[in-house]
Amino acid sequence: MTALLALILGLAPLLGAAPAASDGDLQALIDAAAPGATIELPAGVYRGDITIDKTLTLRGTGGTVIEGTGTGTVVTVLAPDVTLEGLVIRRSGDSLDREHAGISVKAPRVKVVDNRLEDVLFGIFLYQSPDSVIRGNTVVSKDLFIARRGDAIRMWESHRTVVEGNVVDGARDVVLWFCDDAVIRGNLIANGRYGLHFMYSDRATIEDNALIDNSVGSFLMYSKDLVLRRNLISGNNGPAGYGVGLKDMDGSRLEDNLLVGNRAGVFLDNSPQSVGIEQTFEGNLFAYNQIGVLFLPSVKGNVFWGNSFVDNTVQVAVQGGGRFGGNTWTRDGIGNYWSDYAGYDADGDGFGDVPYRLDDLYDHLLDRNPELMLFADTPASRALDLAARAFPVIKPRPKVRDDRPLITPPPVPEPPFDLEVRPGGSLLAASILMLGVATTTVFAAQRRRSLP
Amino acid sequence: MIRIRELTKRYGPLTVLDRFSLDVAPGESVALWGPNGAGKTTVVRCILGLVDYEGSVQVAGLDARLRGKAVRARIGYVAQELSFYDDMPLEDVLVYSATLRNVPVARVGTLLDQFRLHDHRLKRVAELSGGLKQRLALAVALVPDPPLLLLDEPTSNLDAHSREEAIELFEELRREGRTILLTTHHMEEMGMLVDRVVAMDGGRIVTECPPGELAERLGLKVWLHVILRSHDTTRALEALESAGFAARTNSAGILVEVPAQRKGQALNTLHRAGLEIEDLEVWT
Amino acid sequence: MTAGAAPDVWLDLPEKAQRRTILAIARKELDDAVRSRWFWMWTVSFAGLAAVLAMTALPASRIAGAASYGRTAASLVTLTQIIVPLMGLTLGAQTIAFQRENGALRFLLSHPVNRTESFWGLYAGKAAALTAASFAGFGTAGVVTALRSGGGEAGSFVRITLLAWALLLAMVAVGMLISTLAHRAPSALGSAVFTWLALVFLGDLGLMGTAVATRLSVPMLFFSTIVNPVEAFRLAALATFASSFDILGPAGTYAADALGAALVPVIVSSLLAWILVPLAVAWFRFTRHQDL
Repeated sequence: MTALLALILGLAPLLGAAPAASDGDLQALIDAAAPGATIELPAGVYRGDITIDKTLTLRGTGGTVIEGTGTGTVVTVLAPDVTLEGLVIRRSGDSLDREHAGISVKAPRVKVVDNRLEDVLFGIFLYQSPDSVIRGNTVVSKDLFIARRGDAIRMWESHRTVVEGNVVDGARDVVLWFCDDAVIRGNLIANGRYGLHFMYSDRATIEDNALIDNSVGSFLMYSKDLVLRRNLISGNNGPAGYGVGLKDMDGSRLEDNLLVGNRAGVFLDNSPQSVGIEQTFEGNLFAYNQIGVLFLPSVKGNVFWGNSFVDNTVQVAVQGGGRFGGNTWTRDGIGNYWSDYAGYDADGDGFGDVPYRLDDLYDHLLDRNPELMLFADTPASRALDLAARAFPVIKPRPKVRDDRPLITPPPVPEPPFDLEVRPGGSLLAASILMLGVATTTVFAAQRRRSLP
Repeated sequence: MIRIRELTKRYGPLTVLDRFSLDVAPGESVALWGPNGAGKTTVVRCILGLVDYEGSVQVAGLDARLRGKAVRARIGYVAQELSFYDDMPLEDVLVYSATLRNVPVARVGTLLDQFRLHDHRLKRVAELSGGLKQRLALAVALVPDPPLLLLDEPTSNLDAHSREEAIELFEELRREGRTILLTTHHMEEMGMLVDRVVAMDGGRIVTECPPGELAERLGLKVWLHVILRSHDTTRALEALESAGFAARTNSAGILVEVPAQRKGQALNTLHRAGLEIEDLEVWT
Repeated sequence: MTAGAAPDVWLDLPEKAQRRTILAIARKELDDAVRSRWFWMWTVSFAGLAAVLAMTALPASRIAGAASYGRTAASLVTLTQIIVPLMGLTLGAQTIAFQRENGALRFLLSHPVNRTESFWGLYAGKAAALTAASFAGFGTAGVVTALRSGGGEAGSFVRITLLAWALLLAMVAVGMLISTLAHRAPSALGSAVFTWLALVFLGDLGLMGTAVATRLSVPMLFFSTIVNPVEAFRLAALATFASSFDILGPAGTYAADALGAALVPVIVSSLLAWILVPLAVAWFRFTRHQDL
C-alpha cells in the first residue's frame, strides 16, 4: 500500500507533528485529530470503514480513495458540521436491511461536497440531519437487480437540506422522508427506479433537475406545496412510468417543466386531496408521452394553462373511466396549446375560436377498457375516431374542454442540461446501406446483357 | 416424335379432348384442323404440360408429364401472340428465352440476322407490326434449335402479306427436317405445308388424311356463285341439274352446290353447254 | 446446327428446380417491376412520406433525442403498417393471376422450366422489387433522421427495417396465394384490397369490439392480436424502441410478464409463419392443381 503522508492543519492546538498513517489507517488519523480540524488526504487508497464522531473536515486532494470492507457503511458521520469533500468512496456492504451506505450521516449541518461514490448500496444517507448540504456528488450504485439496489440519496427527517448538482446513475431512488423545505436543484438522476421520491415532505423547491430514463421520474406523495420548475423529465417508462406522479398531494405547482417521452407525463391520484386547495400547471411541455396527463376519475381541482400538449399518443386519459370533471383548462383567458386542435383562429388573437374538446371515442373506450391500449396509435383506432366523428351515434362526454386553446405553442423552456447528442453516424451508415441495397437492386434489374 | 394415347381433358363438365390418340413421326409435318373449340389448342397445351390431363403424351420417347422440362427443351413453341411482353425490347425477349433454355446468348445474334430483326432489336414489342411480331415469335421458337415445332394458329392474326412471308418461313423449317405440329382452321393456306391433316371436332379425330383428300373425306360442299356473260340462267340451271348439281338463281347469277374438291366439274358442265362465265366466287 | 442433329444434352436436364432458372425468372420479374409505373409510384410516395415524418418529428429533438426518435419510429411504423401490406398484397396478387390471364405464364412454361421454378422465381422477383422500394423509404427516413437530429438509434432502426421487410415478404406471399386461388385477375386484385382492409383495420376493430362487448381475457386479446401479421410487425417494431411493453397497457404488461425473453421471438414467429404458410399453400396449388 502506498506510503502515506497526512497533513493535519487546524486552528486548534496542533499535535506536534503530522502523524503518518501507515497502511492507510485513516481511522487512526481521525481519532487523533482535534475537533474542528481539517484533514487533507493526498492521493492514495485509504482503508475504511471509518466513523467520524467529531466535527472535522475531510478533504481529498484528487485521487483520494476511501475503500470500505464491503461489509458495512464506508463513512459514518455522527458529529455535526462535518464536511466530506473531494473523496472517492467505494465498496460498501450490500445489506438493504442494515442500510449499508457510502456515507451515512446522523448529525445536523453536514456538508457532503464533490465526492464520488462507487460500488455502494446506498449512496448518501442522512438521518435526522437538518440543514445539510449534498452538492456536486456522483453516485454509481452496485450492479444489482434494481429492487436489490439501495437509494442513491436517502434523507430522513432532515429539514432544510440542499441537494444540488449531483449526478446519480443506476441507483434505486432519491428519496426524502419527512424533510420539509428541501431544495433539490440541478441534479441529474438517470436509470433508476424513482428519480425523486417524496414522502411527507412539504414546501420543497425542485428545479432545474433532469430525471431521465428512470422507471418513474418523480413520485411525490403526501406532501404539500411543492414547486417543480424547469425540470427535464424524460424517458421514464416503467410499469407506472410517470414523469411526475402526484399522490395525495396538496398545492403542487408545476411550471416550465419539460415532460417528454414518458409513459404518462403527469399522473394525478387524489391530488389535490383537500377540498378548496388547487394545484397549478403552467408553461409545461407535455410531448411524445404515451399519455400526456393521466387522472384517476375522482381527481379535481387542478388548473392547466399555458402548457403545450404535443403529440402525446393520448393527450389526457382517465384511468378506469367514470365521472370525471372539476379540473380547469383555462385561466385568465389563457388555455393550452394542443397539437391535435382542429379549430381555427379567424380573428387572429392567438386563441382558437372554438373550444378544444377531447372526446375521442377510442380514448373514451380506453378509459373503461385499458387493455385496448394495445391498439393505441394504430390505423384502426384512428379510423374509429374518424368514423365516430363522421357518424356521431355515440357522443362521449368530453374529458377536456379548453375554451381558449392556444394557436401556437408557447416557447419551449430551456432544458436545464445540455444533453449529449449521440452522433447519428451509425444510423447514417445503416441508412445509406439500405439506399445502396435499393439502388443496386434496381440497377441489377436494368443491366442489359450485351450481345456479341 | 410425338405419341399421344387416349388423351382426355375435361374442364368441369366440359370434355374438351375425348380419348384422343395421335402419332407424329420424326420429320413429319401434321396439321390439326377443325373449328374453334375442337380441342386443337388443348392438344398443344397438353404436350407442353401447361394443363393437367388423363392419358399419355410422349415426345421423343419421354413422358411429358414426368419429364416436362426435358420434353419442352426439345420443343419450339410459337404462341398465338406475345402481347404480354409489350414493354420489353424485342432483343430482350429473345435473350430471356435463351437464358431460360440455357442457350448461349450468341444464338440470339444469329436469329436476329436470320429473321432480319436486327434493325428492330431495340423496339418494344408493342411497337412491332404484325409481321415483325410473327417473325419474333418464330425466332423465339427457334432459340433452342428444336427438333419439334408446335405452331398454334400461326397465321391467324396476320395480314395477307405477312401470312405469305410466314408460310415461306414454315416451308423452310420443314425442309430442314424438323417435325412440325400446327393447328389451323384455314386449311387452304396450310395445305401446302403439311404431310397430313388431322381433322378434329368435339375433342375427337374426325378423319386423318393427306391435305388434298380432306375435303372429299369430309364430304365438304361449297357454293359456286357464277355470273354468266349472257344472262341465260334458265339454260344454265337445266344443264347443271341434268348433270346432277343442285343449283338456283340469285339476283346476280347462279349458286351451284359442289363438292369442295370437284369445283371444276360444274364449270365444265356450263362450258360444254356453251355458256361463257363472266365471274366466279367460292362461298363456303 | 440442324434439327435432325439436335444434340441430346437436354436429356441431362434434371427435373428438379434449378437455381439458375429461378434467378433468370426472378430477374425478369424484377426487371418488369422496375420498368413499371407503380414501382416508382410506391417508392417515391413511401420515401417521401417517410422523410416528411422524420422531419416533422424533430422540433423537440433538442430536448430529448430519444423521445423524438421514438415518435419518428412510431410514425414510421404506422406508415409502414398501412403502405407495405397494400403494396405487397396488391402486387403479389397480380403476379400469377395477371400473367395467367395475358398468356405470359403459358409462354414462360413452354420453356424447359417447371412450375416450382416459376413460382419461386416470380416470388423472388416481386419480393426483390418491393424490397428495393421499402429500403429506399427506410433509407431516406434514416438519412433525414441522422442528419437532422443526430439521434443515433441505429440498432432499433435497422431492426424495424428488417421487420418491415419480413412483413413485406409475408404480404407478397399472401398476395401470391390470393393470386393462385383467384379465377380472374380483377377478382385477385379485389381480394387483395379486401385482405388489406381486414388486416389493417377490420381485424383490430373486431378485436376492440369483442373486447368491449365480451370482456375478452387479456391473454386472449394479446394472442389474437399477434396472429395478425400487421400487428405482429407493429408490436415487434415497438419492442425495438419502446423501453417496455407496459406502454401497451395491461395486454402489454401481461405479454412481457408471461413471455419474458421469448416475447419478441414469439411475435416474430407469427410474422415468419405468415411468410411460410401462404407460400407453401400457394406453391402447392400452383404446382398441383392449376391449368394455364
